Amino acid sequence: MKRSIRKFCGVIILAGVIASCGGSENSPATEAPGTDAPATDAPATDAPATEGVLNVPADFPTIQGAVDAAVEGDLILIAPGTYTEAVQVTTNNIIIRGLDRNTVILDGNFELDNGIRVVGANGVALENMTAMNYTKNGFFWTGVTGYRGDYLTAWRNGDYGVYVFDSVGGVIDNSYGGGSPDAGVYIGECFPCDSLIRNFVAEHNGLGYSGTNAGGNLVITGSIFRNNRAGIVPNSGSYELCYPQRKTTIIGNWVYSNNQADSPAIDVAILAMGNGILSAGGVQNIIERNRVWDHNKTGIGLVPFLEDDPNDEMPEKSAWDMTCAESKKLTPVQPGGGILWDSQDNTVRNNVLEDNRRADIAVGSAGTDLWTLGNCFEGNTYTTSAPTNLEALSPCGTPLTADGDWVTGDLQVITWLVDAETAPPSVDWKIATLPDMPVFDSMPDAATAPGVAASATPPVVDLDAITVPDKIS
Amino acid sequence: MARRIRAFFFVGLLSFVAACTNDDDDAGGHDHSNMPVDAAAVMGQPDRPIAGPQGGVGQFVVECPFSHALSDDPIVYPGDEDASHLHTFFGNVAADADSQLQDLLEQPTTCEQQLDTASYWAPALLDEGELITPEKSVAYYRAGLGLDPTTVVAFPAGLMMIAGDHMATTPQPVSVVAWSCGAGGLREELPPVCPPTRGLRLDVTFPDCWDGKNIDVAGHRKHMYYSSDGKCPSSHPVPVPQLIFAVTYPVTGDASQLQLASGSLLTGHADFINAWDQEKLQQEVELCIHRNVVCGVTSGRSSG
Repeated sequence: MKRSIRKFCGVIILAGVIASCGGSENSPATEAPGTDAPATDAPATDAPATEGVLNVPADFPTIQGAVDAAVEGDLILIAPGTYTEAVQVTTNNIIIRGLDRNTVILDGNFELDNGIRVVGANGVALENMTAMNYTKNGFFWTGVTGYRGDYLTAWRNGDYGVYVFDSVGGVIDNSYGGGSPDAGVYIGECFPCDSLIRNFVAEHNGLGYSGTNAGGNLVITGSIFRNNRAGIVPNSGSYELCYPQRKTTIIGNWVYSNNQADSPAIDVAILAMGNGILSAGGVQNIIERNRVWDHNKTGIGLVPFLEDDPNDEMPEKSAWDMTCAESKKLTPVQPGGGILWDSQDNTVRNNVLEDNRRADIAVGSAGTDLWTLGNCFEGNTYTTSAPTNLEALSPCGTPLTADGDWVTGDLQVITWLVDAETAPPSVDWKIATLPDMPVFDSMPDAATAPGVAASATPPVVDLDAITVPDKIS
Repeated sequence: MARRIRAFFFVGLLSFVAACTNDDDDAGGHDHSNMPVDAAAVMGQPDRPIAGPQGGVGQFVVECPFSHALSDDPIVYPGDEDASHLHTFFGNVAADADSQLQDLLEQPTTCEQQLDTASYWAPALLDEGELITPEKSVAYYRAGLGLDPTTVVAFPAGLMMIAGDHMATTPQPVSVVAWSCGAGGLREELPPVCPPTRGLRLDVTFPDCWDGKNIDVAGHRKHMYYSSDGKCPSSHPVPVPQLIFAVTYPVTGDASQLQLASGSLLTGHADFINAWDQEKLQQEVELCIHRNVVCGVTSGRSSG
C-alpha cells in the first residue's frame, strides 16, 4: 500500500511538471520511445502494479524519473526502446533492469557522458541492457560497496565500456564491452577489491581489461579478450591511489589476437599493443590456466611500468598488504624523478600458449636484474620465451638466483617505446569500424525474476575446478 | 580525443627541438593598467599546491579541447575587441569580447560534458611569436584543502574569476600558478623539461571562497579569496568549488625559450566565466563533492 501511494505521488508530480522533468537531468531530450506521458489517474500501467516495481516508460517516461522515485529495494523495469539519457543513481540497493538486453538501448548520441553512473550508492545492480555512444562510460560505479552488472552490453563509448572505480565487493557477469579507447572492462583503485569478472567479452577496445592498482580477491575468469590493441593489462601507478596493483587472479580465460590496428586506443594501449596478458608493474598476481594465442608481442608478459612524473614513492614490499582505505590516509612523498614499477612476485602457471610472435611467455625490465623480481613460470605449454630459458630459470616455490643465462633472448622491453611511435595511431572512437553488434542472450526471465540488490560479497568461484578452456575462433 | 594524444606523441618525440631554437626574451606589449600587481595581497593564496593522485578527494572533472584563439578578454575588456593579449579559449565556442552569460548558455562547447558551456581561457603560449595550439584543458572541481566538502555550493551563474598575475615579473606561488608535465605531481615556477610521454602543462588554481554577493567587481578580484587552514574568511564566507584549470601543450623537452602572450613564462594566469548549465553544475557539486566521490577520469592515464 505504501508503495502505491508513493507511486501515485510520483505520477502526479510527473504529470504536473513533465517539461521541467526533462530538463532536470543532463540529457537534452529524454523522450521515451513510443509513449506519451502517463495519464494522471493513478498507477495505471499495462504491467500489473507490483509492489516495488517501477516500469519505464509506463509509470515513468524516463529511466531517471524512475530512479529518482525509487527507494531501496525497488526494481526498475525498462521496456524496449531507445533512451537518450545519462542516468545518475544515488539511492542504495536499487535494481535497474532492461526487459531485453539487445533492444533496451541507452544512447548517448556522442553527447551525453555516462549511460548509467552510480555515485556512492551501495548495492546497485544494473542488468540486461545496452549503453552506446557515450562520451565517457557505458556503465560506471564509483565510491560504492557492493555492485553488480549482469547481461550488460557497452558499445562504442569514449572512455570505458564497464567502469568500476574506487569500489569494492561486486561482480561483472555475462557482459560485453566493445569499441572504447581505454578498457572494455575496468576495475581499479581497490584493495581488497573482493570482486569478480566472469563471462565477459571485450573486443575492439584499446585494452580488453584494465585495472590500475586493483587486487585482493579479484578474479577474472571464463572471459574472452580478443581483437583489442592489448588483452588483459593490469598496471601500477601513483596517478591513482592504492598502488601497487597486486593479487589479481586471471584464470581460465581466452585471450587471442590482441593486435587490433584499427581500434580506438589511449597511449598506454598503443604502448601495450600486441600483448595478450601484460602485467605492467603488477605484483603477486596469479595468471593460470588461460589459453593465449596469436599476438605480435607476448602471450603473457611481465614488464615494468614507467611513471615519468609520479605523485608518490613506491610502497615498500612490507606495505603491500595495506588496505586501500588505510593507504589513502598516508601523505604522498613527491619523488625527485620518474619511478619504475617492476612486475614482481607474479605466478604464471599452466597456461597454454601458441603463436605469440615475440615470445609466448616473457619477463622484462628496464635495468633491474630479472632474477631479483621473483616472478615464476611453471607448467606452461609454450614454444618461445624471453629470456630463452625462462621456465628453467624461474621455477615456482624456490627463490630465484642469478645463476643461469638471464640474458639470451631478453625481451628488450625498452624498444616498445620506439615501436609505439610507429604503431598504427588511434582511431577516433566515434567512427572506428566495429563488427556488427552481436545479438546477445538476454537475462532469463527478466520480466518476472525478482529484483535482488547487489551483494558486497561476490559469488564464490571454485578455482580448482577451472581448466584451460578449449580453443575457439 | 586519443587522436590528439597521438599528435602529441609525434610532436613530442620528433620535433620538440624546433621549440627550442628561439632567442626571443619577452613578448611584452600588454596594456592591462587596471589590474592588480600583487594578486596574493588581494586574494590570498592556498596553503600549499594541490596535486596528487586521483581518488583521494571527491571531485568532478571536465575535459575541454582547445576552441579558439582571440585577442579578446570578456572579463577585463568586455565589448572591446582585440584589446587584450592573445588568449586561447576552451569550452564555450562563442566566447569573445562581447560575451554575455545568456549568449554563452545558448552556444555549443568543446567540453566532453556538453552541459559545461562555461568559458575558460589562458594566455596563448608562443614560440617566436607563433601560437602553440594547446591540446586540451582539464578542469578539476573539488573542495578547497581541508574544507568540509558538504559546505561547498555551486558557483553563481555568471560568476567571473581570474587567477594568477599576468604582470608577474617574479615567480608566482606554485599553489596558484605552476607548470608541470602531464598530470603528474610536479609543480614548478617555470616549465620543466618534460619527457616525450607527458606534455607541458600550465596549472592554475582559482580561489574557492566567494563574497556571496558579487559575480564580478571592479578589478575582477576582490569578490573572491583563497581558503586557508580549511576555512573561508568572514569577508568571503561562501565556499565554492576549487577550480584547478590545466592546459596541456604539445611541448616536450626544453621550453625555456617560449613565451606567454602576456609576457614571460612567469605571467601565467587564467580566467573563467561560469556559464555552466546551472542545474547540472549543482548536481555535480552535490553528487561528487558533497558525497566525496571521484566522478570522472583524470588524465594521469592520458585517455584524452
